[in-house]
Amino acid sequence: MLAWMRMWLARIWGFLRPGSAEREFAQELETHLALAEEEKIRQGLDPKEARRQARVELGGMTQLMAAGRDARGLPGLDGFWLDLKLSLRMLRKSWGLTVVGGLAMTLAIGIGVVVFWFLEQAFSPTLPLADGERVVAIQTWDDSRLRPHLTVLEDVERWQGSLRSVVDFGVFRRVDRNLRLGDGPAERVRVAEMTAAGFQLARISPSLGRPLVQADEREGADPVLVIGDRIWRTRFAADPHVLGRTLELGGVDHRVVGVMPAGFAFPVSDQLWVPFRGAALGRETELDPGEATAFARLREGVALESARAEVRALGLLPRRPAPGSEELDLQARMVPYALAFDAHAEPGKIPWEARLMLGLIMLLLVPPCANIAILIYARTLSRQSELAARFVLGASRWRLVGQLYLEVLVLAASAAVTAVMSVSAGGVFLRSMLERESRDGIPFWVDFSLSPQAMGFAGFLALVAALIAGLAPALKATGRQAQSGFHALGKRIDLPLGRTWTALVVIQVALCLGVLPTAIEMGWGTVRKGVLGPGFAAESYLTAELAVDREQLEQSQGLQTALPATGESEQGMAAFDLRFGQLQTEWVRRMLGESGVLGVTTSLSPPGEEPWVDAELEPIELADGQRSPASHRLVRLNRVDPHFFDVFQIPVLAGRSFQPGDFEGSATAVVVNQAFADEWADEGSPLGRRVRTTRFLHQDGSTRNDHPSWIEIVGIVADRPAHATHGTMYQPAAVGQIYPLSVSVHTGLDPSRWSDRARELAAAVHPALRAERVLPLDEIYRENEVANNLGAFSLALVTLSVLLLSAAGIYALMSFTVRRRRREIGIRSALGAQPFRVLTGIFGRAVGQIGAGVVVGTLFALLLAAYFPIEEIGGWKVPGVIPLAALFMLAVGGLAAAGPARSGLKVDPIEELREG
Amino acid sequence: MAKDRSPILQGTLDLMVLKTLEQMGPLHGYGIARRIEQVGQDALTVNQGTIYLCLVRLVQKKWISAEWGKSENGRKAKFYDLTRAGRRQLQAEVENWDRISGVIARVLDPAAEV
Repeated sequence: MLAWMRMWLARIWGFLRPGSAEREFAQELETHLALAEEEKIRQGLDPKEARRQARVELGGMTQLMAAGRDARGLPGLDGFWLDLKLSLRMLRKSWGLTVVGGLAMTLAIGIGVVVFWFLEQAFSPTLPLADGERVVAIQTWDDSRLRPHLTVLEDVERWQGSLRSVVDFGVFRRVDRNLRLGDGPAERVRVAEMTAAGFQLARISPSLGRPLVQADEREGADPVLVIGDRIWRTRFAADPHVLGRTLELGGVDHRVVGVMPAGFAFPVSDQLWVPFRGAALGRETELDPGEATAFARLREGVALESARAEVRALGLLPRRPAPGSEELDLQARMVPYALAFDAHAEPGKIPWEARLMLGLIMLLLVPPCANIAILIYARTLSRQSELAARFVLGASRWRLVGQLYLEVLVLAASAAVTAVMSVSAGGVFLRSMLERESRDGIPFWVDFSLSPQAMGFAGFLALVAALIAGLAPALKATGRQAQSGFHALGKRIDLPLGRTWTALVVIQVALCLGVLPTAIEMGWGTVRKGVLGPGFAAESYLTAELAVDREQLEQSQGLQTALPATGESEQGMAAFDLRFGQLQTEWVRRMLGESGVLGVTTSLSPPGEEPWVDAELEPIELADGQRSPASHRLVRLNRVDPHFFDVFQIPVLAGRSFQPGDFEGSATAVVVNQAFADEWADEGSPLGRRVRTTRFLHQDGSTRNDHPSWIEIVGIVADRPAHATHGTMYQPAAVGQIYPLSVSVHTGLDPSRWSDRARELAAAVHPALRAERVLPLDEIYRENEVANNLGAFSLALVTLSVLLLSAAGIYALMSFTVRRRRREIGIRSALGAQPFRVLTGIFGRAVGQIGAGVVVGTLFALLLAAYFPIEEIGGWKVPGVIPLAALFMLAVGGLAAAGPARSGLKVDPIEELREG
Repeated sequence: MAKDRSPILQGTLDLMVLKTLEQMGPLHGYGIARRIEQVGQDALTVNQGTIYLCLVRLVQKKWISAEWGKSENGRKAKFYDLTRAGRRQLQAEVENWDRISGVIARVLDPAAEV
């Protein structure tokens, strides 16, 4: 055993340092020959014969040297190393194939890695806490709608008192509060109201002071606060004496008692923690599952399944359903902690959609790899003599297949490495962007780096890609037919380009043409607004969002009885609307009093930023007595005050604008923009028709019914922004009806000069009122443009890569055809055929394939155009794009064929006939 | 003449090289090859080249050591010598050979056993 180990260590050493041992071995053999020769001369042989015999007895020097090399090093690796060097050389030589194929593979593998990362984060996130996999959430689950439901505090208390399978049971609720340090302006921050158990469960000690303790949760206890490392550094300049200092949170002074270390953000992405005072809230309080949950750690030795069974058995207290509400199938449920925030994730289960998605990723690899396969196969033609030489020298078919496969594997591996590096860099960029842009921060368990499994998946995709792109051409190029050609070294070898290969060309031309119009329309729809601009002076408007710290407002106004802390009682809402309306009116009044302000308007969103709704136009009686079918469209919805159209200088094109009466009571009138009228143009003018919104789409993708009643369209206004891609509905909104409220200030001059004033006025109107996201309107548009341009760039990259591959495939096919039929070209030229006729004959089949691809692709594109709602996903119809794309593909095909065609015309008939 | 020569049994070259070095002391590759041929009295076909591959293997296993020196006629040559591990290995291989050759002899001539 020891000797065996010594031998392999020596071999590894010999593999790493082959030079000196090789020289010494050669020297030793030379000495041997010299000694043998001398002895034979002494025995009476003449020097020539002595030398000959010495050589015969020793054996062939070349073979001996090779055997010595094998004995000293790692023979398999030596061969691999040689093949690898050859592969790298071939990739460098065929740089066009390397770049195009590598880019396509990188894109396909990159997309695969991103999807894998996403699925990993969605279905098996790792909690970066000690024994994080044993941390769980307990929630109320609506089994009829398959999503978490409001949890009643009373149930939480019962779970806490009864569950035996968990420890460190606690609860948190995240709320918005105004934060004020010293005399500075108030700022909205997110605060975690959390029981002391949260700190015990996380098993992370504060870097300064203490965590929250149970005593802090008692009613009447001093208001205390634990801050995170980021707040400590940014707000307190990392002051080591921060403990005991106070800051105003929701209008109440809180004393800092602890600082948590960097990276601690439990329960979600938090930096400020105050005690959760359940007793003060009341047992009936309902906790919103998006913002609050109960949590715990599985007791040592208890499996998740048995704990889940205990929770299920304990269940919920009976609830009295709200009048008129539908019956819900509610139950208590325990899930791994991070999954509590994703309604779609089931513990331990990867849904079939996710599996399907991973399968589809493999399919993504097929088109680029099939193209590369054609190119590689075509290239092997130019390497037949090299392959033949290796074959004759004793290389087995599998050695040749291995070498050809390795070439593609090296390309795929490089693509995988590039994809992993790009995705990793993208992850860093995404994290910094989300940290900057996201109001609520990123959940602490979201990991933007790639896991070893994700990297392994990239490697697996590279192997699959190499199998598709490398193995088939390698087998084909070394098959029986090719081998018979190898024996005739130096002669021309005629390998057929079978139906599979030609079908691939047809498919790729069709696919390319099929998706090209969609890509163009998507790209144009994405960058269109940025290219054409908003069509009005967006740079002279300042926008902001007005919101209040509800708790602070309630406390200061004595609204507690009318407005519960959580829950949405009608009475409470009315009281809140009234008070917020007063604050809103006062802020607008003061803003209008500022010099240089030309107008102020309030709305649900600034123009162009409205949320999406599903609108339905009421069916009408047609001339033949039939009713028109119900038609739904996705449109934008804004709710505006009486000054909106004036402030944004939006002219009324038909009908009327809003009248004072429209703002009283429930909405009875709606105004639409020109794009809306155009979308429904086939049903005539929408003026006087009635419309209703059936679904209101929130930014998080959830929906709720908004205005189920029919409202009459009373006017059509111009599009604002001028290049709006979708219809927009405007509904009148009375003061206090919108919360949070978007305010737009028309300044005429640089609006950012009013930014600070907007915030100061909010604080001056009421300490609980704040102006957030104070930005010039054009800056909002610019931010969107950056994201849009990034999307368009990615789309262009994918399209370009598909196009390049398609062109490369056609080029390969044409080159192949010319190579195969040089002799035929020679004979026909010698017989006096016109070059054009020769070319037509030779390329007839290839041109037919391109033509077939164009026809199939055009049909595919027409189908896509008819059934794919491109405008609903941000695209923009471009007239005549399909014929243009067809012409473009023909031109690409023509260009790709031009090179080989020229080479075909240069065939020397005499030369070809002589060679034959 | 060539017809009467036997090829070296597989796996026995290591044993022959080790034994030669034990008997003769440090020797270069040519010396080892000649010694084996002499002892074999031309009854063995020794491919001299394979001796060098065997030497590489034995050095890797640290059963013999190698050192450059001068041959009897002043040429630069690599001399091989048995190491302590090589001596132990030789002893084990000799015992193994005795056992196997005894078994083979008994199989071939059962009468000799009696």
